[in-house]
Amino acid sequence: MSWFRERKVLISVASVLVGFLFVVLLKAQGLVGNPTHQEATLPSLIQTEQENQQLAADNDKIRQELAKYTQGASASALALQQLQDSRMNAGLIPVTGPGIRVTLDDAQHKGKNDDPQNYVIHEAYIRLLINILWSGGAEAIAVNGQRVLGTTEFFCSGPYIQINGTRQVPSYVIEAIGDNRNLQSVLHFAYTWDQLGEFQTMYGITRQLEVVNSLHIPAGTMRKIQYAQPVKEGA
Amino acid sequence: MTRWKRELALPVTLVAIALGFLISIAVQTQKNVSAAEQINAQRMTAAKSVLTTVQAQNDQLKQTNKELRSRLEQARKQGGTDPSILTDLAQAGILDGTRKVEGPGVQIFIDDRKQDHKTVLPLTPDNLLEIVNTLRFAGSEAIGINQQRMVASTAIVYSGSSTILVNQVPITRVEGIPYEIDVIGNQDTLVDYFSNLEADALKKAGINVSIVRKVVQIPAFKGSRVFRLAKPDPNE
Repeated sequence: MSWFRERKVLISVASVLVGFLFVVLLKAQGLVGNPTHQEATLPSLIQTEQENQQLAADNDKIRQELAKYTQGASASALALQQLQDSRMNAGLIPVTGPGIRVTLDDAQHKGKNDDPQNYVIHEAYIRLLINILWSGGAEAIAVNGQRVLGTTEFFCSGPYIQINGTRQVPSYVIEAIGDNRNLQSVLHFAYTWDQLGEFQTMYGITRQLEVVNSLHIPAGTMRKIQYAQPVKEGA
Repeated sequence: MTRWKRELALPVTLVAIALGFLISIAVQTQKNVSAAEQINAQRMTAAKSVLTTVQAQNDQLKQTNKELRSRLEQARKQGGTDPSILTDLAQAGILDGTRKVEGPGVQIFIDDRKQDHKTVLPLTPDNLLEIVNTLRFAGSEAIGINQQRMVASTAIVYSGSSTILVNQVPITRVEGIPYEIDVIGNQDTLVDYFSNLEADALKKAGINVSIVRKVVQIPAFKGSRVFRLAKPDPNE
């Protein structure tokens, strides 16, 4: 039995050592693989800084306006000017300028065996491209002559797409005023644009991009506000 | 007994060598980890102190903003401006998103945090764009995502692989439910359209969604629209 006892001792010692190593390594792994709080702090830091920038810009804007009042400018004239600015921001004024024109159209011939969905232009493509164009600094956008406003919807209803409550059918022409190099580069960076390029080669849809020196983008229509009431900031 | 000893000699030696080796590695790792821990702690303190400063600035800026806006409001009223212009101004300010607004609508909470018992696909900018589109289709008058007002020119994009930018501001929330969407409009239509067109797809992706009727406030758009190339059309 003595050999057994001896082995017991050896096994115990080995087990203790292995256990110890295990714990040490686990602890080390836990600390390395888990950079806990820092990740949480950084986004909120960036977010707050961005918000600060926005606020500072906004404050400057208001100060400039207040300065105009204190300099004795007529309040009515200023209000009219503001109304004009606001209508311009809201897209209620027709504009002209240089930019790009993107034309999308369904394929002429539908395939027999593939999914017919691959041969048509979906409302999501238009929506995603417009999002990309805004991020590329577009100043005004219209689709088939419908100005894209803060309330504009793109809703697929079978053969047509509803935009600003109107029915639009292919081809879809997206016109955007802005720096054409920026607008082109954001498009080429976008997944949707690449995907449409592939569909063009594979299924024969149309995806066309032109640089235009002078675009005319019509005004949107002022919508009646029924529910929203203005409130003072900070209220 | 000697037989056992002799038989064990070789394996025991080998095991001992292996253990010794492992122990030395463990000690080394431990040292590295303590060093890393220290650096991490230093970074944390640094980041936290910056955050505190930035937050203090933020509070101050908000305070100033509030004061300036009320002074502006005063100045506008004093000049004896035609009230109809002021009404138009308020309407246009709601449409272009430069006025903070309040009204009946809905509050949507979207929770895409990981859960133990199921896989959750994180919400993408495309998901948010689709939700916003559906809410616009439902006739919404104002939409705010995590307190960022949606205006015509608002883009929703990724910065890096997971941070979502709205109006070029990250909307990541560190604590609590990750996304809160406030909407003003006809409550019945909003609930109906959102539930039927969006909620199911999100739930299928394992995301928790809730929508409640509520009077909500939506902050003003704080960015600025710049028209460098687009000019008002003189022919109209």
